[in-house]
Amino acid sequence: MTSVTAARTSPADPFSRPWRRRLPLLPALLFAIVVTQVPFLLSVYYSFTEWSINPPTPRHFIGLDNYQTLVSDPFFREAAWTSVLMTVSTVLISLGLGTLLAVLLDRHFFGQGIVRTLLITPFLIMPVVAGLIWKNQMFSGLYGVLNWVLERLGFNSIEFVSQYPLASIVTVLVWQWTPFMMLIMLAGLQSQSTDVLEAAKVDGASVFGTFRQLTLPHLRRYMELCALLGTIYVVQVFDQVDVMTGGGPDSTNIPYFVYERSIGGGWDFGLASAYSIVVVLVSIVVATVALRVLSRLLTDEARA
Amino acid sequence: MIRRRLGTRLGVGERRSAHVALALTAWLLALIFFFPVFWMVLSSFKEEQDANTSPKLFFSPTLDRYRDVTSNPEGTLAFGDAATNSAIVVLLSTLIVLALAIPAAYALAIRPVPKWRDVLFFFISTKFLPIVASILPIWVLANHFEKLNTLTVLVVLYTAINLPLAVWMLRSFFVEIPRELIEAADIDGAKLRGQLTSIILPIAAPGIAATALLCVIFAWNEYFYAVQLNPIEGSTVPMWVTTNISTRGDFLAKLSAASVLACIPVVLAGWLAQKRMIRGLSMGAIK
Amino acid sequence: MQRPRLGVGRVAVAFLVAAALVAALAGTASSRPDAKTKTIRVAIVGNPQMEDIAKLTPSLFTRKTGIKVKYSILEEGKLREIVTRDVGAGGRQFDVVMIGPYEAPQFGSSGLLKNLTPYAKPDASYRYRDVLPAVRNALSAKGRMYASPFYAESSFVMYRKDVMRANRVIVPARPTWAQIAAIARKIDSDRMAGICLRGKPGWGDLGASFTTVLNTFGGTWWSAKSNGKPDKAQVDKPEFKQALEFYVDLVKDAGEKDAANASFNECLAQYRDGRVAMWYDATVAAGILEAKDSRVKGKNAYALAPIRKTKASGWLWTWALAIPRKAPDPATAWKYISWATGPSYIKAAGTRISGGWAAIPPGTRFSTYRIPQYKAAAKAFAARTLAAMKAAPINNPGTTKRPGLPGVQYVGIPEFQDVGNRCTEQFSSVIAGRTSIDSALRACQRIASLAIQ
Repeated sequence: MTSVTAARTSPADPFSRPWRRRLPLLPALLFAIVVTQVPFLLSVYYSFTEWSINPPTPRHFIGLDNYQTLVSDPFFREAAWTSVLMTVSTVLISLGLGTLLAVLLDRHFFGQGIVRTLLITPFLIMPVVAGLIWKNQMFSGLYGVLNWVLERLGFNSIEFVSQYPLASIVTVLVWQWTPFMMLIMLAGLQSQSTDVLEAAKVDGASVFGTFRQLTLPHLRRYMELCALLGTIYVVQVFDQVDVMTGGGPDSTNIPYFVYERSIGGGWDFGLASAYSIVVVLVSIVVATVALRVLSRLLTDEARA
Repeated sequence: MIRRRLGTRLGVGERRSAHVALALTAWLLALIFFFPVFWMVLSSFKEEQDANTSPKLFFSPTLDRYRDVTSNPEGTLAFGDAATNSAIVVLLSTLIVLALAIPAAYALAIRPVPKWRDVLFFFISTKFLPIVASILPIWVLANHFEKLNTLTVLVVLYTAINLPLAVWMLRSFFVEIPRELIEAADIDGAKLRGQLTSIILPIAAPGIAATALLCVIFAWNEYFYAVQLNPIEGSTVPMWVTTNISTRGDFLAKLSAASVLACIPVVLAGWLAQKRMIRGLSMGAIK
Repeated sequence: MQRPRLGVGRVAVAFLVAAALVAALAGTASSRPDAKTKTIRVAIVGNPQMEDIAKLTPSLFTRKTGIKVKYSILEEGKLREIVTRDVGAGGRQFDVVMIGPYEAPQFGSSGLLKNLTPYAKPDASYRYRDVLPAVRNALSAKGRMYASPFYAESSFVMYRKDVMRANRVIVPARPTWAQIAAIARKIDSDRMAGICLRGKPGWGDLGASFTTVLNTFGGTWWSAKSNGKPDKAQVDKPEFKQALEFYVDLVKDAGEKDAANASFNECLAQYRDGRVAMWYDATVAAGILEAKDSRVKGKNAYALAPIRKTKASGWLWTWALAIPRKAPDPATAWKYISWATGPSYIKAAGTRISGGWAAIPPGTRFSTYRIPQYKAAAKAFAARTLAAMKAAPINNPGTTKRPGLPGVQYVGIPEFQDVGNRCTEQFSSVIAGRTSIDSALRACQRIASLAIQ
């Protein structure tokens, strides 16, 4: 099959196969390298300097001092743990809900377009606005809709954000990110070849059987994609923490912690950069393990 | 012959009652999810005192909040300007992202380069640096090249932050395309562009629509870079929305009104995109 | 064979070209002001008084002087981030920035702001001596005024006089914290909490309220060396714990719902709804409570900030306009500041803003309190506000010497912003009952000690 195409080129040809394959990739790759690596390298440089602007001190080299401060900082570890809890619970719950919704929505029924649009709307709201609406109108101990319902049912009101800050933030995050998961899973469901499904129907397979043996394995790749992308985004969440709780021992995650070190009041850009570099290094390790050991995303057989 | 699938996805074998039950479940979940948004829309028609007190379903509605947020006096950021800036930045960056990512995904899925795994990992690793840290060198660079308060800097940034998402998603969808179709096109002598337009884009249309929609949403709502880099000119909708937040006086009703206005374009984009995400033509027709 | 999707391609290309053109045009509309019409760029916070002046600038200022003003209205946290970064890194983005008495003396001493005294004193329309000295001094360092106050506030106790009458309680005009706490606990009920106190994390939120309590309890954040630099963190001292315990217990026993997240707006909503009987917060709240559409209009009385070991404890905050050192055109910038913070704007605003005379920028000038219409509209609170502003003990807020520049509800050193934020996060958690007071104090002592090393 491939001999037809292989005969076209020879290795000496500058537009031979390897480069012809690489060419479509180059624009994206070059763009990404230039725009992201220059700031990254600058951040690495800043992490080895002392650079503060209140009071303004000229930036000067201090070697590993920032990293030493970082290593002995218990609040950093606390923030890292909060980040892990926040991210894992958000991604798992929203992935589950998103998959369920995608399966329900991948069918024709009355008003499916409206239902889909309604379900995407949480994702369209600005995170700052979502945080404020939930904090003041859903969760509020005195004026919240949830407590209004609870009190009608005879329960005492709950101060959701004060008593359960992390759970409150996770609720808002799940609310906003489930549509994201749903969109990807839906597109994934629709890329499933209908021939196979029709054949299964013709062969007399049951609804659940088809789902379990054909659809779910196909979806696994998309679930892993959702988990990866969702984690990347949720780990960076900042706005909801800022407007809902203003930080604290149970809700400060890594982005908010780094923010506090830098433009949030600490004004120590060198130290903030050092924390960020450590975050990048840890992320690389975690992502390598997750992608190459745990998931199948990078283990597809390469095509010819 | 093109076979169009009508009726439910699971067709003949399914009972009517199950179909109704599942449809009702979908509706119920949609309404629950939508409720806070519904409440926000409701608040946008209230007086501030009504929006900041016990939940009220019945009240005398007013359009005053909409007037408040759109009566931006000369010298302050107007909704029209912010929306125009946002539209330009979002459309341009999304088009550029697609223009870059579609060929890249081709080179990672259909005719993969040897080191495709490393390339994919690199793309995703560009998102590991916390935004709060990257703003420092970005601000320094933008200041140096005098690109602060321009739309250019946002277009470049948004393209960079959406590119990894687009590459990963499109690659996942392209990998699904049956090998036979690609090779059939090869035998027909079709070049990359022909393959793209006649085979890849139509089949991966739902995936491309989903990717484009996500890029649009992320770029439209992006607040941090936009406000740090463009507080004076080239300001976008998120900044316009948050000008209504005050520490000395209630603002929830105004914020709701501003947010409703800000969401309308993305809701439209969502509606358009999800029209493409309906199962339609069977792939068997291509043969 | 399927129809190729060239339709999409064509549309995309057209869009790309069109958008690129527009973007190019927009990108070249640079932010440099052109020589003919002067434009100055001002960064302000989005509070009601600031929105009012933004509305009135075209008609009252631009029309007379031909100077255009471009406002960037930012949320308070973002304003601080952007202005500090811009001013601190020697930026040239803004001609005028809005800052407070925490930043003004610090930036001024570091040479980041223009000294405004040489502009202000000779300017007859500005009326330098009319500015309240306490406010002016808060914005000055070494006798140089670095920012001109747009509005100023202190803190006091607002309470429902009808509720007090019904409970046969008298609130003294100069109360002590013990008295206020006793009253709050007495009238506290399910329906109406005794008092609303801030609990939201932030050096300017819980930090402000709590620091005034800390001051008057004889505590402080840091001791001072003779050269004014901070010496040792004092969070582990008994006075600090006493003050924190008092505050936390009062909020838990007689305070508002969701106290750990309550700031000005949350307390305002609850007070206006009749869910709290007393409220200790900024004096500007009075203007909102007595506004035309307020549900509690006319039902309120005001007492000075409660004390214990000091003679006064109300805070002093002002939003003021400053000129960064590298601003391209300070003379024009001063023209704007002179108008915006001068007495003529205040007089002109009274009849033009939607809130009426009660909503004009308060607390900056003697002349404001002599305007007859203002005195009438603000009868309930004007005198008390002026008394509170005059009494704010900015130079000696507590019982011991403080390091750094003067300040009541903050410590005038750069480290306070971060320490205040992170410590109040701990204290807020104590209010919510999720952290013990001792572990919070330990964490805070650690934070405060490390910050000044």
